[in-house]
Formats: sequence, C-alpha cells, structure tokens
Amino acid sequence: MSAVGSDVPRVDGNAKVSGSAQYTADIELPGMLHAKALRSPHPHAKLVSVDVSKAAALPGVIAVVTRDDLEGLNPYYGAVVEDQPVLAIDRVRCVGDIVAAVAAEEREIAEEAVELIEVEYEPLPAVFDVVEAAAPGAPILHEERFETQAAVFREQLNLNAGGNVCSVFRAADGDVDRGFAEADEIFENTYRMPPVQHGHIEPHVATAVWESPNRLVVHTPCQNAVGLQEQLARIFDLPESGVRVVVPFVGGGYGGKTHARLEPVTALLARKAGRPVQWVLTREEVFLTGRRYGGFVRMKTGFKRDGALVAREVEVFYDLGAYALSGPANAKTGSYVASGPYRVPNRRLTTYAVYTNLPPAGPYRGVGVPHVAWAYESEMDRIARHLGMDPLELRLNNLLQEGDVFVTGESLVSVGISDCLRQAAAGIGWRGREEQAAGDGGETGAAPPDTAGAENAGRDADSNATRPLHGVRSLRHGKGLAVIMKSTTTPTASAASVRLNGDGSVMLLTSSTEIGQGVRTCLAQIVADGLGMPVDRVTVSAPDTDVTPYDKSTSSSRTTFHMGNAALRAAEEVREQLLEAGAQALEVDKADLELGVEGVSVRGVPGRSLTVPQLLRVKYGDSVGSVFGSCNFQVKGGLDPKTGKGKAAAFWFFSACGAEVEVDVETGKVRVLNIATSVDVGKAINPLQCWLQNEGSMLEALGAAFFEEMVFEQGQPVNGTLLEYMLPSMEDHPDRFQSLLVETPHPDGPFGAKGAGEAVIPAVAPAIGNAVANALGGVHITELPLRPERIVAALAERDAGASGDR
Amino acid sequence: MRHLITATVNGRERELSVKSNQTLLDVLRDDLRLKGTHEGCGVGVCGSCTVLVDGKPVSSCLMLASNAEGRDVLTIEGLSRDGNLDPVQQAFLDRQAFQCGFCTPGMIMAVKGLLNENPEPNEAEVRDYLSGNICRCGTYVEVMAAIEDLTAKPR
Repeated sequence: MSAVGSDVPRVDGNAKVSGSAQYTADIELPGMLHAKALRSPHPHAKLVSVDVSKAAALPGVIAVVTRDDLEGLNPYYGAVVEDQPVLAIDRVRCVGDIVAAVAAEEREIAEEAVELIEVEYEPLPAVFDVVEAAAPGAPILHEERFETQAAVFREQLNLNAGGNVCSVFRAADGDVDRGFAEADEIFENTYRMPPVQHGHIEPHVATAVWESPNRLVVHTPCQNAVGLQEQLARIFDLPESGVRVVVPFVGGGYGGKTHARLEPVTALLARKAGRPVQWVLTREEVFLTGRRYGGFVRMKTGFKRDGALVAREVEVFYDLGAYALSGPANAKTGSYVASGPYRVPNRRLTTYAVYTNLPPAGPYRGVGVPHVAWAYESEMDRIARHLGMDPLELRLNNLLQEGDVFVTGESLVSVGISDCLRQAAAGIGWRGREEQAAGDGGETGAAPPDTAGAENAGRDADSNATRPLHGVRSLRHGKGLAVIMKSTTTPTASAASVRLNGDGSVMLLTSSTEIGQGVRTCLAQIVADGLGMPVDRVTVSAPDTDVTPYDKSTSSSRTTFHMGNAALRAAEEVREQLLEAGAQALEVDKADLELGVEGVSVRGVPGRSLTVPQLLRVKYGDSVGSVFGSCNFQVKGGLDPKTGKGKAAAFWFFSACGAEVEVDVETGKVRVLNIATSVDVGKAINPLQCWLQNEGSMLEALGAAFFEEMVFEQGQPVNGTLLEYMLPSMEDHPDRFQSLLVETPHPDGPFGAKGAGEAVIPAVAPAIGNAVANALGGVHITELPLRPERIVAALAERDAGASGDR
Repeated sequence: MRHLITATVNGRERELSVKSNQTLLDVLRDDLRLKGTHEGCGVGVCGSCTVLVDGKPVSSCLMLASNAEGRDVLTIEGLSRDGNLDPVQQAFLDRQAFQCGFCTPGMIMAVKGLLNENPEPNEAEVRDYLSGNICRCGTYVEVMAAIEDLTAKPR
C-alpha cells in the first residue's frame, strides 16, 4: 500500500502529546551557564564607552562580552550582506541592539549583572518610515557596504544602491508607457502593511559549548542548520567541520528562525566562559529580534473596459530594520510577482529593500508576497466594481495559464491557479455579480442599505444560520476573493542519505528541520514508497551537521520538493542495491524481483524470497553491514539582476482564498463567517498535514488582517509583549474554515508534489479585505490591520463625501 | 529567601525548597526537571505553561511556587499512567491536534481542566475556555474535534 497520499499519522506524535519532545531550552549541559544581554535603549546612537567592570565583579558572573571580545574574529555576519555585528561595535542601529552580554551561574545573577553595565551613547538622528529612509538625505545606518559569502543570492541581486537602500530588484515586460497610453482607465493607489510578529510560541534560544578551541557545538531551533554552521565558522574562523549545529524539536518557526539570531553571541559567551551557555530570550526580546517586513506599495494599473489588464507599474518598499538578513532576496521574491498572477503585457516592477532604525526583520511565511498581494488583489476588486464586473470573472479572464511566459521569461508549469480560485469561490458559495450587488446594495458610491432585509438578500444557505450580533440593523454582509502565486527560492540544493540497517529498518539522514510542518512524516512516506517498504520502518533524523548532509534551509516551502526528491532518489539507490543482491542470490533477473515488507521476493513465486538480513549476508558475507544510498538534488536557475530574466523558481505555487464576513458598521467589528482556502500542492503527500499548513497560514494571516501590528514610537516598541500584542486565539477562529486542495502534478516533483507551507498566507488578508470592502459598499481600507476604528473612520470619510473608489 | 513547602506533584508528595520569587514553572522545569511544561510569554497569556492545580488549569509562569503548599499539581508528565496515554492525549493523537507541539502540553492540560469542570461543553464554551491557549501553528479545528471525540463517547 502506498504511504504517499494518505494521512499517515505523524511520526513525532507520541513525543509531542506526552511532553517528552525535547526542545532546545529543555537541554541542560553539565556546568551550563545562563546568558542575558544588555540592549540598546536608543534607535540610533554612537557607542562611546562600555564599562563592564562592576558586572564582571559580581559573584556568579563567569563571563561578560563586549565589542572588545571581537578581536581576531570576523565580527560581521549576514545571510546576504554581512552587515550585522555579533555585538554593537561603533554604534547601535535600533532599540534592542545587543551591546554586551553576560554569562552567569544563575539567570537572576545574569539579569542583575546586566544592570551594572555602564554605557555612554551619543544619540544620532534616526529614521523609521521606510519611504523616508529610502529618500536622499535620510540618516544613513550603514556607511560601509559589506562583502558576503552567500554567493547564491549575491549574484542575483543589485546591492550597493546607495543610502539606506540595501538592494533593488526590477522585473519588466513590454512597454509600460505605451501600455498606459492604450489603457481605457488608469487606477493608482498605495497600500501599507505594518510589521508583525512571527509569533512562534517557543522564543529564540541557543545552547553553545566549546569542546576545544577548535570545536564549537550549538543546539538551536534554527530552520537552517547548515547556513548557521557556515556563518559561525566564518565568524570564529573555524573550518565548517569545526562547528556542529544540532537542532532539537522546534517550537514554531514560520521563517523567524531561518537565520542566525542569538547564536553568535551565545557562542562568544561560551568561548570566553569556557563552559556551556544557554540563552533563552524573553518574549520582549523576541519582539526586538525578528518580525515581518513592513511594506509600502505604490501601484498603477491600466486596463481596458472589458477588464483586460494592459499595463502595471509597481514600486514596493520593504522595511528591513537595522540589518538585512535575507531581506534583499525576499524583496526579489516580491518583485516579479508584484503585478499578480495575471497576464499583463506591459509592466515595470521594482522592489527596494531599505534599512530603517527599527529592530531587524527577516523572512516570515510568504516573505515579500503578502505585501504585493494585499495591493494587487484589492486593486482587482476596485477595478471589477468600477467596471461592474464579477470579481471572479475579472480574475479568471486575466489569470496566467499553463505554458504562459512569465515576466521572468520562464514558461510556467503545473499551473492549477484557476482551479484554486474556482474552488475557493465555491467554498464560500460565490454567486457572482448578484452576490456583489446584494452585499452592499448597489453601485459604487451608493449609500449602504439601511435595512437588515436588504443586506441579507445575498446570503447563501450556510451563512443564514449565523447569529446576528447586537444591533442587527447595522450589520453588513460581504464576500471577497483573492488569488496569488509565489516562487520557491532558486537555485538551491538538498542532499539526503538513506541507510538500510542490518535488521531492515531504515534511517533517513537529512538536515530538513521539523518545525511543526510534519516534514519527518512526509519524508518518511516518500522514503517508504521509494523503497516499497512500510512507513513504520523509516526513521527520519533531526538536523545535526556532523552527520546530516547539506540542505539549503527549511524555508520557502521548498522541502517536500527538494528534500523529497533527494530522499526519494537516495531510497531508490538503496532499493536497486537490494534488488541486485537479490538477483544474484536468487539467480533471477532483477526485473522479476520485488521489494517489500518481507524483503526481496520473486514475483509470483511464493517462497522464493530473502529477508533483508539474509540479503545483507549475501551482499557482505558474515560482516552484515548496511546499505547506503544518497542524492544531492540540485535545481539550477536564478535571475539576471540586470534584466530580471531567467528562472525564478524550481516550482511555483498557487493559492486562492474566499472570505465571507459580517461587518457591524456602527462599531467596525467584523465577524468572519467562512474562510475557504485552496492550494495547488501538485500532490498531497499527506493531505491532513496540508490541511494543517493551510489552517496555520490562514490563522496567521487572519491575525495580521484584523489586529496584529507592531507599533513603534520613535523606534521604541509600544506593544512589545504578548499582553499588548494579540495572537489569534480559538475565539478568533472563523465560524467555518475549509482547506481545499488542487493537485496539478509537477513533472519534477516527487510524486508530482510542489510545496504547501506558505501558499495560503498571502491570499487571506486581501480576501478578507475585499469581503469587508464588499460589505462596506466598496470602501477599501488600504492599510492593515482592519481595526474597527479604521473601518468606522473609512465609512465616516466616505459619508463625508470622499470617494472610496480609485 | 527560601521556603520549605510540601506539594503533591504528579501524584507524589514532594518537599521543596523554593525561593520567595520563584514561579511554579521554574520549580517544575529547573528543580524537578519536568521539561514538558513550556514557557512562551512569561506573562500568563499564551497558555503553554498550563498545569492543573487541584484540578484547575493555572498558568504556572504566574503562580508563585510557595503558593503550591499543600496543593495537588499535575503536569503533562503525570497524565499517562503505566505507559498508557490519558484519553485527552490519545484524542489529540487521534486527531493530530498539534504541529510544532510546543503549546500542546499546555493545551492538553487546559482541555483536561475544561472537561473536569464541564464534561459536555458546547462549541462556544470550548472556544471561551481555551482562548488563553494560543496555538500559532493553527490546530484549533483539530483540538475542537478531539474534544468532540472525548465528549461524544463515554469516558
């Protein structure tokens, strides 16, 4: 029976429900110390002096590190540009920048010691708004530019743009000026998306120990063990084999643990202390350590009266915060999809990755795509409303199709996007123009209906059952759609080894990280089918860079495709070796043999078989070894940074979302009645885990749509704890949620599979936004989140005469 | 300053020397090495440190350990008996109601507390009761299904 395609229970289930799953903070090493950092209270300042003498003298303090301890190291690191110092050197660039760190016998002592550190700062002018930061004359964060080892990205990026603009990426097609000249109508709008938290419930944490001066061991919930190994080796001038990164269970990542965050400082402390050091961030520190880029989008669209898009010009500003991490690469990912998954003959798409004096951001599920999707999908509804068209029909008429040449110049393969959109629309009972008209009571600018009866007319049977909120007369009902596409990071590689033990059990060695997405189960299924053995024979390793082979990272929804391919081919290599040994021993042709739970047997001849231990005896004699298979799976490609052309993606993924809401126009409160998401996964290796990925994406996006927003005042966090910053709870969950799948097999995917992890997230906020706008008679709120006061204010503005259109 | 307290932890009476400002969470994790209870926010809003005290869910990051004097503390490690999962754990497993698993022990303990108080909760009651247990990965649908399983069949 095939394991692929069935809801195989998770291999880590028992550990997780029993409480025995070990996370990094659960590790206690003998003699382990606890760390605490002194962080900058200034958003931008020169570091004049740091005096740690009192802290170092406190009993129980074993080591204190400052910039003085970076002597002889490569003190700057970064995934794309090496702009981040292990500790502040000449200046601090955001509130929360690490100035010094302490390792002590007890956490409380470390906390006390940090208070004794005396620092003199000289404040510098700072800049917080991403557009202002990109403008000439803004205070500059990084006066020097830095080299990097991360050649894979660097070759594809335009760095050194000047000022605070870390990188620029452009993609273009046709003649935009002519396109706008030929358009019947032109819309131009701006959109904003604030920074939000990843919200992984496990804070960032690391445990570091030096086994010898040339040997560093780090335990960390990093999504990118090999990348971290490379960075630590470079910082401490060690061979990569001198750094061992071990990844225990990970309490959520969503991109927030993809890059080095606190590991370099932890390792520095452990080196000075000569003892193991563990550092667990407080939640307040997590807020200062990572987040999603805030974004500003300027979008101009030319279209014909029949709804055909003829020209689009987009500029996007991603706020990196103080350090780039993978920001330039993520901004590139946003650039070529900035005009949406649509045929647009003339377009000019530009994204800027810009430093600001805010805490550093980094990749978050969907990276640069949610920002542009929020803009282009809101625009699609505005255009549909203006033209009196069904938003579903407008989208379907413009959507990319199989074989279309994309703005990057590549032909698109495995394009199930129209099916996704139809499925999501059906999931919320979409009824076309009739629906849209019923939802808001008429044409653009018309007054909203003032009776409950009128606004109820467009509901389908399902939502009629919903309970009214207080004040039924003020409730408006709306539905909205959105559809997106996203690339996976390319070019990259993943390697895997499969080891068949003497007893017939199987080990997959992989650096893919189990961050909750079910990767161990998914890869076990793939290996089991590759071998023709039951899935319970297969164990999947955790990343340990001493043992597990190279992997680019567990990010970009790339693991099932890349590591799945590597694992499948490694398994097939093992299978071939077993069949060859069997053919020799049983004196039959290899083609007549099959591999199964009992070992190798001759097809159709009961009893002519050899168990795996017997086979290994044939293969190795009495020494009984094991059988290895391995594969380094690579996808070539990448874009020319000058032209924006090439191959952007090993595979593309597509998704759509339908949302149905009820808005109380007096209070601005929105109730989410129904969310239907649809993703083209190529092939669902484990349908239940695909559902869960989509449920998680939907919830994260729902939070960002309605209330999640990191607020800063002059660079100081205003809501930097989970008391002030809400994450969606069970009470925020939509009344109804459906996770629908489309399976358009990808010719290069393992069993046709693509990726699922990030697919839904960019579509959800615009679908909700469009549903709310539909309920409000076409009033689009362009800045997330859709807080009640924004809704009430937008209606008041509309009623005061300002148009919600255009 | 330290206090000597006596509390029952996972069915066993323990004499514990605790600091005045030490939380129950820290005593469980650091002193008793019960690492299945996790800290997520430190301010009592994420629910991942939930344990049962006298059968009721408590955020152990907010409760002072000294207040556990004479009380009965149950953590995720105390749920399974003789290698058999508790019905709540089994229902979570059956419904695959977890992803990264970090919030799962707290969520399971909260469900345990819910069913102690209200053996047949309706959906609104479940949502309200568990609103203090945040699962960022997104498994609320499966948690609700697990609870339905537990209330639909005799336990």
